[in-house]
Amino acid sequence: MKQEVFNIQQEIERIKEEFDFDYVGVALVQSPDRRFELRWKHVTGNQSDRHRRISLQSGKGIAGLVFKTGKPMFVADADEELGREDLYNYPIVVAEGLKSFGAIPLYKYNRVKGVLLVGYRTEEKLTVEVFQEFRKRIGLEFGPFYSKEMVLE
Amino acid sequence: MKGISGLQLSDLLMKLYGNSAEAIFFFDRDGNVLGMNDAAADILEQDVYRQLMAGQSGAICQTCKGYMSSDEMQTCASCYMSNPEEDISSFQVYFDTKGKGVIPYSASIQTIDHENGIRAFLLRDMTHQFQTQEELNQKRMMKRVIKAQENERKRISRELHDSVAQEMLSSLVDLRVMKYMNIGEEALKKLQQTEGSLMRLLDDIRHLSVELRPATLDDLGLKAAFRTHFKWIEKNYGLEILFLTDLETERYGGEVETVVYRICQEAVFNALKYAEVDEITVQLYERDDMLHLIVKDEGKGFDVNEIEPKGTGLGLFGMKERTELVDGDLTVESVIGKGTIIRLCVPVKRREDG
Repeated sequence: MKQEVFNIQQEIERIKEEFDFDYVGVALVQSPDRRFELRWKHVTGNQSDRHRRISLQSGKGIAGLVFKTGKPMFVADADEELGREDLYNYPIVVAEGLKSFGAIPLYKYNRVKGVLLVGYRTEEKLTVEVFQEFRKRIGLEFGPFYSKEMVLE
Repeated sequence: MKGISGLQLSDLLMKLYGNSAEAIFFFDRDGNVLGMNDAAADILEQDVYRQLMAGQSGAICQTCKGYMSSDEMQTCASCYMSNPEEDISSFQVYFDTKGKGVIPYSASIQTIDHENGIRAFLLRDMTHQFQTQEELNQKRMMKRVIKAQENERKRISRELHDSVAQEMLSSLVDLRVMKYMNIGEEALKKLQQTEGSLMRLLDDIRHLSVELRPATLDDLGLKAAFRTHFKWIEKNYGLEILFLTDLETERYGGEVETVVYRICQEAVFNALKYAEVDEITVQLYERDDMLHLIVKDEGKGFDVNEIEPKGTGLGLFGMKERTELVDGDLTVESVIGKGTIIRLCVPVKRREDG
């Protein structure tokens, strides 16, 4: 773990700049006294404040899915892949008008503690290659978190 | 003849024959057509008409698709034409008509001239009546399905809430007790993580139970159930719901409460899916023995007369059916670009055990 204070907000703004993302957000699991809720704590490039009201159930929404499965999620065309009819189940995608996006789990003590979401408001703009590049760039560590389950191999 | 002169009568009979929507045929003893009115000629294909008029026996069979007996829907067994002595005052028969396909008719055949053995065959179109009957059956069915579904949801929801969630809670308490026992740092951390997952799991089960059917609705009534539901919508979808009500703890008949709750749920969900707004208003109040529910958004709106609705189109239909269950009244107003208002009013029956 890095010793200096890790500023998530600064970090996501930097990521947004670097990849020219339209939107970057981090959802984090809250402390036990907040009943381990999953909330969007840091966002940049947002066009609405809807994320503030949202507290995700595990397994629901983008963050909920990544949280539950512990696996990255990649969608090149939201309308196509998630289906227009079911899109309302992904409130952030709807509220922010994201068309192509990717999300990765953030681990701490081998548990998913958060989700990092990056996306564009244009279809197919986030390609597999860009997403790969992004994941490589983030590397294994994101502040106090790491982006892969640390299982002894 | 009662109060009618012979001349008048024959005039009226001629008019009946000429203008009636019922098809009238006259047959002689051998089953040959003597004549038919315009209504009868209209339902026959040109070909069949010609053959019939030419006195070809069996020509009628080309257009008749059989009658309904207690054994079969459409049968020719002991055909109504076969026994010239027999009068049948009412039976159902299928005719292949010109341009409209096979249509059910209510028919009667009777001898009107014993001396010459002339029989009158009358056909009355039943399509409309059958459609009405079908609709009625469908509605009755739908209502039963709604009720059955509601009961089943209630059962599973109770089961989850009372037994599964309870058991889960006991394990959670056990786990918490363990935290205060003399255990190492490592184990404590693991324990906390397990507690977290277990709590989330418990939440999931509770959500599932509430989603199926909120126990609050049965235990505490509409206001409490709505409050919980709207909070859940807000948390999950970020849609803000302004809830205005002057109800306190009033209770209504179980069916009324269920209907109002479900319709509101559906209306809010529709707004969430299609209106593209961040905020909607729900009003619930009682006036003059009527319970009123208004769900309003200022979103995209839709064309109320649109034949092909977005989504399954079952939502609005289901809402109407549910409304009928409690003799309520449902209106849907929507203007494209302005928003949608759904109004429900239901006559209220107070619950005795209030």
